[in-house]
Amino acid sequence: MANATTSGRLNRFKAMEFVVGILLFGTICLAVLFAPLLFPDGGTKIDLAARLTAPFQSFAHVLGTDPLGRDVLARVVTGGKVSLVVGFASVVGSIFVGVAMGLVAGYYRGAWDALLMRFVDVQLALPFILLAITFFAILGGSLINTIVLLIVSQCVQYARLVRGSVLSLREREFILSARAIGVADRNIILRHLLPNLLGPVIVLATLNFANNILLESSLTFLGLGVDPTIPSWGGMLADARTYLQTAWWVSVFPGLAILLTVLGLNLLGDWLRDSLDPTGRTSR
Amino acid sequence: MIGFLTKRILQAIFTVLVVTLVVAFAIRLTGDPALISAQGGGTVTEADLQRIRVALGVDRPFYVQYFGFLKGLLTLDFGRSFVGGTPVSQLIGTALPATLTLAFASLFVSIVLSIPLGVKAATTRGKWPDQAIRIFSLIGLSFPNFWLATMLVLLFAIALQWLPPSGYDGFSSYIMPAVTMGLILTATNVRLVRTTMLDTLRSQYVMVARAKGLSETKVLYKHALRNCAIVLLTFLGVQFGGLLGGIVVVERVFNWPGMGTLAFDAVAARDYPVLQSVITVLSALIIGVNLLIDLAYGLIDPRIRTQ
Amino acid sequence: MELKFTRSLLGALALSTALIAASPSLAAGKLTVSLSQDPGSWDPVDTFLVAWATVATNIFDGLTYRGPDLKLVPGLAESWQVSEDGKKITFKLRQNVKFHDGEPFNADAVKFTFDRLLGDEGSKGPQKSNYAAIEKVEVVDPSTVDFILKSPDPVLLTKLAGYGAMIVPPNYIKEKGEDYFNTHPVGTGAFKFISYEPKIGVKLEANPDYWGGAPKISELDYKFITEPATAVAELQAGRVDIVVPPIIPISMVPTIKGDSRLELMSVPGPTVDALRFNTRDGITADVRVRKAIIMAVDRKTIVDAILAGQASEIVSFQSSLSLGYDPDLKGLPFDPEGAKKLLAEAGVKPGAPLQIDIRGNDATMNEVAQAVSSYLQAVGLNPTIKPYELNVLLNDIIPQGKTGALFQQKWGGWTFDYDNTAYSMYHSGEKWNPYEKDAELDKLLESQRPMTDAAEREKVLKQIAAYVNDKALELPLYNSNAIYGVNKRVKNFTPAPDNRIKLNEVTVD
Repeated sequence: MANATTSGRLNRFKAMEFVVGILLFGTICLAVLFAPLLFPDGGTKIDLAARLTAPFQSFAHVLGTDPLGRDVLARVVTGGKVSLVVGFASVVGSIFVGVAMGLVAGYYRGAWDALLMRFVDVQLALPFILLAITFFAILGGSLINTIVLLIVSQCVQYARLVRGSVLSLREREFILSARAIGVADRNIILRHLLPNLLGPVIVLATLNFANNILLESSLTFLGLGVDPTIPSWGGMLADARTYLQTAWWVSVFPGLAILLTVLGLNLLGDWLRDSLDPTGRTSR
Repeated sequence: MIGFLTKRILQAIFTVLVVTLVVAFAIRLTGDPALISAQGGGTVTEADLQRIRVALGVDRPFYVQYFGFLKGLLTLDFGRSFVGGTPVSQLIGTALPATLTLAFASLFVSIVLSIPLGVKAATTRGKWPDQAIRIFSLIGLSFPNFWLATMLVLLFAIALQWLPPSGYDGFSSYIMPAVTMGLILTATNVRLVRTTMLDTLRSQYVMVARAKGLSETKVLYKHALRNCAIVLLTFLGVQFGGLLGGIVVVERVFNWPGMGTLAFDAVAARDYPVLQSVITVLSALIIGVNLLIDLAYGLIDPRIRTQ
Repeated sequence: MELKFTRSLLGALALSTALIAASPSLAAGKLTVSLSQDPGSWDPVDTFLVAWATVATNIFDGLTYRGPDLKLVPGLAESWQVSEDGKKITFKLRQNVKFHDGEPFNADAVKFTFDRLLGDEGSKGPQKSNYAAIEKVEVVDPSTVDFILKSPDPVLLTKLAGYGAMIVPPNYIKEKGEDYFNTHPVGTGAFKFISYEPKIGVKLEANPDYWGGAPKISELDYKFITEPATAVAELQAGRVDIVVPPIIPISMVPTIKGDSRLELMSVPGPTVDALRFNTRDGITADVRVRKAIIMAVDRKTIVDAILAGQASEIVSFQSSLSLGYDPDLKGLPFDPEGAKKLLAEAGVKPGAPLQIDIRGNDATMNEVAQAVSSYLQAVGLNPTIKPYELNVLLNDIIPQGKTGALFQQKWGGWTFDYDNTAYSMYHSGEKWNPYEKDAELDKLLESQRPMTDAAEREKVLKQIAAYVNDKALELPLYNSNAIYGVNKRVKNFTPAPDNRIKLNEVTVD
């Protein structure tokens, strides 16, 4: 049947999506994890005599050197740490804060719910970058501040998602019966609600992870993110802007690093969405 | 219905108020504008600074300044820029059209690209065009917008010299910024169009239309597209905030004299009136767009109201 | 060579699509200049921005004029005489000069200008404090004015050539009001104001009745472009004729030099950079440590490699153009071994931490600081760099004495007079001098201010520079060039160190 071949192709495609996603993201994670072993100096060693060496010319500097003679490969690999740490920490933070908010609002409703929904409104009405420039003008840029800002601006997405699911779940048979036999709220939330929320939250988290890497690099690019002396992809791209025409490698490689990492995560997120989302709206 | 309307409008007003309060309070923590404005003089005394503060009105208590700002908002009088004293309404008067036209141009690019691509993906579901489109949309989602913009400038403005590298003058200056934003939006919209098309193609009335012997193209473009348009429109509300945020970044790369440029310069100069007005206006726009979409939905589908 | 590679790569990519390159043509007689900032206001009393002066020097005139050669010559005043005690200056004014709106320039206009600057209107802006030495201006006759001073000011004549001292039209301001004047300036200058669009640009046209002769170009457009890469791209695309400093980064110098249609013009400017020491706390309170740090850094290599020769090494915190510059003053040599010895002598342990505070938005200093830090590492110190947002560094960290061991000082005193920087850098209690209290230095700084004899003053200024050098109060770095990018169709253009480019003599092909 035509339908069978179509879904067969789709399944093969899905499998490819997963394999490529894992390969991209996994390789980058491993490289970043082992960066201190691969490049002990962390790409900070300055060699003014070897500044702006072109790539693919020597084994010492496979991807060339930057304006201070630092190895671009070492900096790209070391710089990934900032992106991955910011992306991961902000997602984990947002999940904790957002899921808690959503559970409370969805389960208890009433004033908590109203409060949350107004917070969601305010949050959605503030353009992220404008929030960021004000926030950083007060507190200054740093790794922690970037993470906090991302959590503040994104926890509402999880809160909304969780609230919505809880609203429908709490009317379901198994929850109602658990309440009827007097199971404590805490237990209902932890044992019955949370496991059912896991799927959609993980999908959202993967996609947000990808998006946060983009946001972090935009912020650093605009001079608002992490300390510019720490190697980071956004920072490298910002520094490289004026070298674009004379030394393309200084901006092309960190840009590619962002693109491939985010692509890997997006592929995984896409695959997860289809595999974990039981309603399967997009998986057909 | 009236109750629903009033409730949503009151909520929107409340949100705008909270936004203004948060913003007005936050920017006053960023530093003393008098110091910035006096930087050039080598021998500035505390008396000089106080003199400038009085002239700027920042010596007054916060609540006085805030209520002054609110009062001004009612009459669309946003005060004067601390840098040069130009009325803020005049600055926004030139910056807002620049940003909004760019936003619409980007939306236009994304609609023109995503509808045919999404339809193609839906009609070739599972075959190679569908998968290629899917891969491209995932790649599009993964591009840092500022990097894409820079690469476009390098190619089309510097190497080929087909397009102006920056600026806000005429049609050709819109192409690169609108394409940058449009491509990234297309990545999400293609998926939306595809899903909606698949839903619609299975629906009753499309089957009926087919049974009536209408050509496949006619079925697609007459019936299915209408549904897509509605879905895209709804999604516009969600995208609008993100779109404006993205434009702020792209404005930097293309020297686009819009709201983002205004906001960046205002933060650097601690130009309170400009910054709080820019954020308030943009937030009000986002809230307004979402309110309109909600109301339109409330009219179409009464079930939404109870949620 | 790298440039060629990129070009051919991209060219190949686009080969398939044949399209005629839109050759950008500019109207004959029109010149387009890129400015790094929108000054926001065109009123002389409201501004302190160099970008303002770049435009305003074409709209307004002062009593005196200082061109690209930095020599002070008559402007709207034909001659002047300073009294014996230096407290009265008599100006003889140029006659038959008219403002752009047609009203005559005369002694009343001069008096109005300074009454306005020193009165209520001036109080709202930052310029008033620069002219605090003036007590009042008296009209002697329609073409003669007396400036009565509270105390002699050796740089006043220079200050009259710029900023707050630009002569403004009394009737126009009285009729149209301050706000209108702010966005529709009128002066006596070579070009008339046409229009101003915030954040976009300002347009001027030639003033055929200019007292110095009609300009050679008919239109003058200024575009505000804040991104360095964008400004250069616009220059390459032929949409901008002159890119005014300080926007062209050192890193883009080869790009401009490699373009046959463009010319790079570079002159020593007023801007100097140094890393000042925290002389109050920590290891840098010890003069031996400070000297060791200076000796550890190879400033010549930094200037050659990072600044691509677009700067010169300095020994004291001033440009070679400034009054008080001493070519014979010798700094400490680059000597890492000597530095290590001095550090050991001072009892500094290897790995001692050291923080360097810099301006976060200063790309060049960012690179320089990293190079400095690697030199300091080589002599056994452990430096970290802390970039601050400009306003935080200038308004909080430095004045409050909250800096690390070293902090960036950057100054571009447009008066080209060492006093302008030295006094606020080294005198006790000044904003930029949170740590040092030295009675001897204070006395030197105070002693030169009332001197009216320039040679005498210069001698004292040189003593101050030598004294500061001896105490090793700062790690002097470099004096950057003012870098202009110019399209070759522009003829007869002289780059000015202070960015005040008057364009009445310029022609375009």
